[in-house]
Amino acid sequence: MINFQQVSKTYPGGHRALEKVSFHIKPGELAFLTGHSGAGKSTLLKLISLMERPSAGQVLINGVDLNAVKSRQIPYVRRDIGIIFQNHRLLERYSVFDNVALPLIIEGTHHKQIAKRVHGALDKVGLLDKAKCNPATLSGGEQQRVGIARAIVNSPPILLADEPTGNLDPELSMDILRLFEDFNNHGTTVLIATHDIGLIARMRYRSLTLKDGRMIDDPLAEGAL
Amino acid sequence: MSLLFKSRNSQNERQKKSFLAAPYFFFINLIRQGVHSLGEMWRTPLASLMTIAVLGLSLTLPATLYLVVKNVSQVSSGFEDAAEISLFVKETMSEQQTQTLVKRLALYPEVDKVEFISKGDALTEFKQVSGFGQALEYLDANPLPDVVIVTPTARYRQPNTAKQLLQKLEGEREVDFGKLDIAWLERLNALLSLLKESVITIALLLLTSVTLIIGNTIRLSIMDKKDEIQVMKLVGATNTFIHAPFLWTGIWYGIIGGLFSFICVALMMWWLGAAVSDVAGVYETSFDLIGLTLTEFGILVALATGLGFVGSYLSVNRYIKEIEPDKV
Repeated sequence: MINFQQVSKTYPGGHRALEKVSFHIKPGELAFLTGHSGAGKSTLLKLISLMERPSAGQVLINGVDLNAVKSRQIPYVRRDIGIIFQNHRLLERYSVFDNVALPLIIEGTHHKQIAKRVHGALDKVGLLDKAKCNPATLSGGEQQRVGIARAIVNSPPILLADEPTGNLDPELSMDILRLFEDFNNHGTTVLIATHDIGLIARMRYRSLTLKDGRMIDDPLAEGAL
Repeated sequence: MSLLFKSRNSQNERQKKSFLAAPYFFFINLIRQGVHSLGEMWRTPLASLMTIAVLGLSLTLPATLYLVVKNVSQVSSGFEDAAEISLFVKETMSEQQTQTLVKRLALYPEVDKVEFISKGDALTEFKQVSGFGQALEYLDANPLPDVVIVTPTARYRQPNTAKQLLQKLEGEREVDFGKLDIAWLERLNALLSLLKESVITIALLLLTSVTLIIGNTIRLSIMDKKDEIQVMKLVGATNTFIHAPFLWTGIWYGIIGGLFSFICVALMMWWLGAAVSDVAGVYETSFDLIGLTLTEFGILVALATGLGFVGSYLSVNRYIKEIEPDKV
């Protein structure tokens, strides 16, 4: 599903964020991406969501080479990828409902359909009763769940999460991870970037480890060779 | 439309039932966006009102100047009716020859009216008007020539056409020379066209400034919503989708600014109306100010709307491209 082939990324100014990274995440897989801050986790996610382009190598999603995607096609790629951010990036001027509805409005979904699917997504993250609230009035964990609802509302085949539990206590973090497991059980491919090693240790999932821009630990890669 | 997963297309496009549905939804969406951005402007009423007032006043000035030109043209067209050509008949001509000249002139297609003043009549009139009555008694002979006063048709009352007619009339055998007092008319027309030119120049400057004001207002509002635009781009909004509300805001500024300037012009007309009729009263004429016609009102608002669109389009095209989610 997500296939990196010898991908390198050098930022203007010479900083090498990724160096010859290769891995393959199969459809329906849930994987963690770990490493210290600055190891290249965010860059790797940005390459998938086309916020950045690789300096060398190829990123393939569902067999489509992202290098071949033109700038004006980027929005359509992003509609297939649900992204969850550490700082949730909700729009404070709008209600929780409107925030979650945003991807559907952008796609031009019929408004009856929008209401149905937003309520479905909010129900999944357990925030159906907060639909009319302003995001600023919610707790950190609730805001993160609104961000998750927004990412899954149009049922994307791929879900990316950048430090989704970064600001949460362990118990809330577990709740969030269970949500991801649940989506994964329904067939969504999930990639979670986190530096919370303790969290990963408790769950038996594949974890890719980056160090200084290199992939130093990928249990599947060794088996494949 | 899904680029990566072809199978998702069928799922998302199920709602499109017929080929007419696409334009229908496009239209509905357009109206919804328009109403929505009007609501957005209402969220910051003071800022919006100030922008609209600036635009309205900027549009009022050229509209007023246009009305000044229009009204002055109306006045001067009244003056042009006075254009007359005086033809002085050669002294050697007999009375009969002069009479045939008068008849012939009346047949000219360019001529509206012909009036004959014999030298005798002219002398009598001159005696009465000039106050030289007694002195003129001592003259041996009447020094005045016969005069034919020709009033051209409307087409030949313009300075240049009247001049042509004068030359033609001077070609007549019986005519000594002709006189056309059009210098003042030429001056008036020159002033009028200068006024028109300056109105066009000032209007161009002010309309440019209207475009720039709208462009800048939209730029500020784009900067203000930077985070929002980034999030929209992250969840897959196309540039067109992000542009729409800003373009609508520009259009609304134009429409409301245009209406505002129309109200200003109407108020000014009402205010000046009394003063103008006073002036007209002093000159013993009646004169009504002409306001903007319905067509001109339509042009004003359409122009303002167009400028609103252009101004916001320039900003939107320039600045939204620059806002990318990775440049946080």
